Amino acid sequence: MFACLFAPDFPVQAALRLEPGPARAALQQSPVVILEGPASLLRVFAANENARQAGIEIGMTRLQVEACSRATLRKRSPAQEDAAQSALLDCARAFSPRVESTAPGTVVLDLTGTEKLFGLPQNAAAKIFLLAGEFGFDLNIAIAPNPDTALYTARGFAGVTIIPSGEEAKRLGPLLVAVLSPPLEVLEILECWGIRNLQSLGALPPVALVERLGQSGLHLQRLARGEIHRPLVPAAPATDFIESFEFDDPVETLESLVFILNRLLHQLCARLACRSLATNELRLKLELASWQKMAGRQDESYDRLWKLPFPMQDAKVLFRLAYLDLEDNTQSSPVKKLIVQVVPVKPRLSQSGLFAPPSPEAEQLEITLARVRGVTGAADQNGIACAGSPQVLDSHKPDSFSVRPFSTVTTKDADHSAPVPVLALRMFRPVLETSVETMDQKPRAVSLRKKRLRVLAASGPWRSSGHWWNAASAWKREEWDVALQTADGVGFYRIYLDRLRKQWFVEGVLD
Amino acid sequence: MPSAVLLRAHIENKIPSAFARSPRLEQKTLLTGIAEIDAMTGGVPMSALTEICGSSLASSGKTSVLVSLLAAAAEKHFCALVDAGDSFDPVSAEATGMNFGRLLWVRCGKQKSKLRPLEQAFKVADMLLQSGGFGLIAVDLGAIPERVVRRVPLSSWFRFSRVIEKLPAALVFLEQQPHATSCAGLVLQLQSQPAVWQGKLLTQCNVRAEVVRTREKRPPQSARPDFSLKAQWA
Repeated sequence: MFACLFAPDFPVQAALRLEPGPARAALQQSPVVILEGPASLLRVFAANENARQAGIEIGMTRLQVEACSRATLRKRSPAQEDAAQSALLDCARAFSPRVESTAPGTVVLDLTGTEKLFGLPQNAAAKIFLLAGEFGFDLNIAIAPNPDTALYTARGFAGVTIIPSGEEAKRLGPLLVAVLSPPLEVLEILECWGIRNLQSLGALPPVALVERLGQSGLHLQRLARGEIHRPLVPAAPATDFIESFEFDDPVETLESLVFILNRLLHQLCARLACRSLATNELRLKLELASWQKMAGRQDESYDRLWKLPFPMQDAKVLFRLAYLDLEDNTQSSPVKKLIVQVVPVKPRLSQSGLFAPPSPEAEQLEITLARVRGVTGAADQNGIACAGSPQVLDSHKPDSFSVRPFSTVTTKDADHSAPVPVLALRMFRPVLETSVETMDQKPRAVSLRKKRLRVLAASGPWRSSGHWWNAASAWKREEWDVALQTADGVGFYRIYLDRLRKQWFVEGVLD
Repeated sequence: MPSAVLLRAHIENKIPSAFARSPRLEQKTLLTGIAEIDAMTGGVPMSALTEICGSSLASSGKTSVLVSLLAAAAEKHFCALVDAGDSFDPVSAEATGMNFGRLLWVRCGKQKSKLRPLEQAFKVADMLLQSGGFGLIAVDLGAIPERVVRRVPLSSWFRFSRVIEKLPAALVFLEQQPHATSCAGLVLQLQSQPAVWQGKLLTQCNVRAEVVRTREKRPPQSARPDFSLKAQWA
């Protein structure tokens, strides 16, 4: 059996898909018109049934529409239609791997062999209808023994229609010939013959039909009888999961922005779930209304990329991450378009070990880290992250370290020997500029925080250098460990002479 | 029969559990990895606030104790270090054998923001406590001037104390002087002692530890064990 998912007035449904449930239902009950073209000459590209009943026709100008009725006007967005088609395909893929993208708003899938999973065709259709509703679609669904019968049935009949094997011609009979989308001249000829529905077309003598209309006429007749069994043309699974929303009027408030962002993320996560996928990379891009950009901030843009430590498909977590960042980064101009992209990957397949240490919940930890970054900042002036796991770099340069993302998921218990307490260095970042009195090329006194401290003992000099091939990053130092007599007792400090700058610094204290 | 006994019998008759001693639950601790301190204190108590104090000018060993504690705790728990002054040295920590994969290092005060490093550290510590899952949360205030930390209201310490007592985690503050007063479950004061030099090389630093305050059985006043910390190169 084959199922066809058909979204009537697809451009309208694509435009309304991201509206919240009650608002979408209210809009579907009222005239909605999709306009296309330059701003000065917008014309009707699509309209829903209520708009057509109100007298609105394809090709009307905006003024004519406004004169005709108080319809809701939306501008056509090809990106939204593409995203809606992808969502429709993902919806179908939740039920079968063999899916054909027949036309915009029309998807045919092969349900053969899925009876054990979804039960009778009626049950499968009901499940498809429910899932499509979650995606924001109001579909016509038809299940028939061959793809074309399912396709024309879905186009011709509203709601859910099931056609058992052997009843194709009978059930297709009442449909108008136009549903087959024949060439215009063929349609005119059939009109002249008085052939208006598929039942009449199917009843014509085949040989006489071929003599007059050729093989295309016979093909039309076999379609009308539901006799053609063709293989599906499988649609390649989408590798990019993108949802976008263009505001009619640029929005200035965060509330309006995050409301739509939440809807987009839920749609994306639902699509990922349909294909048993998750994401480990979220990208959020805002297009700003350039005509309102502040002087001096012409290059302002918002393009954020979150690389998640593990795949997830929880829209709430993704939304929280994006929301915290949006809260911290205010834009000088209103937002006219919102683009959200996720990179699909296989979901995390791991089970916590019985002997693994208790750890913060991975999803909660990501939100906590985002909040921490909101307080401390994401990175310092050198681009090193402010929160994460430390990592000592393979470099001879002192205090060379990096901070990599902290994760409880990817932690591997490498071979760590039992900890041994050692004398730790307490760093001064940035290093303290100081002056040192020397005698016999040994430090005799060090100025520390405006106090002259006598050197009791000194260990050094320990000379090191590096990056001599690059003048910008070259370093050359002479290091000393000195015992200084302070007010609280003896302090062991690490000082060094920057031999390139000829300046002494205090790097830290052995504490 | 004396009146006190009568009174006690009367009360026990009405309220049987009035004078019953509730068995004290054994407090879980995290070992610091320094045998002398662990023997004296039994380790850093979990579900309690601990203060490790030492001078900011002299080498008191407070940072080494904290690094050792983090390294030992990271064996069994995920740990967080909220570094108010960005003074943590990963090289020293690596020398102790710390598992960096289980350490979250938060460096405060690296960007100019509305909050000062101390406020950032307290806020981050609060977030990590709320997040849960960490066995040890250490807040290093050693680089913050004493006069600034002294201004922290007692209510903040009290709040931390109340939050941590419900969590299976240890909250450790590294400071120059103790501030949490009765909110702290353990206060450890460290002082430097004469170091050991071999030739012109500093090889060992000696430290004296004193338990200023503990909720557990208080060690004798004379117990001020010395312990030594070897230099990485020794």
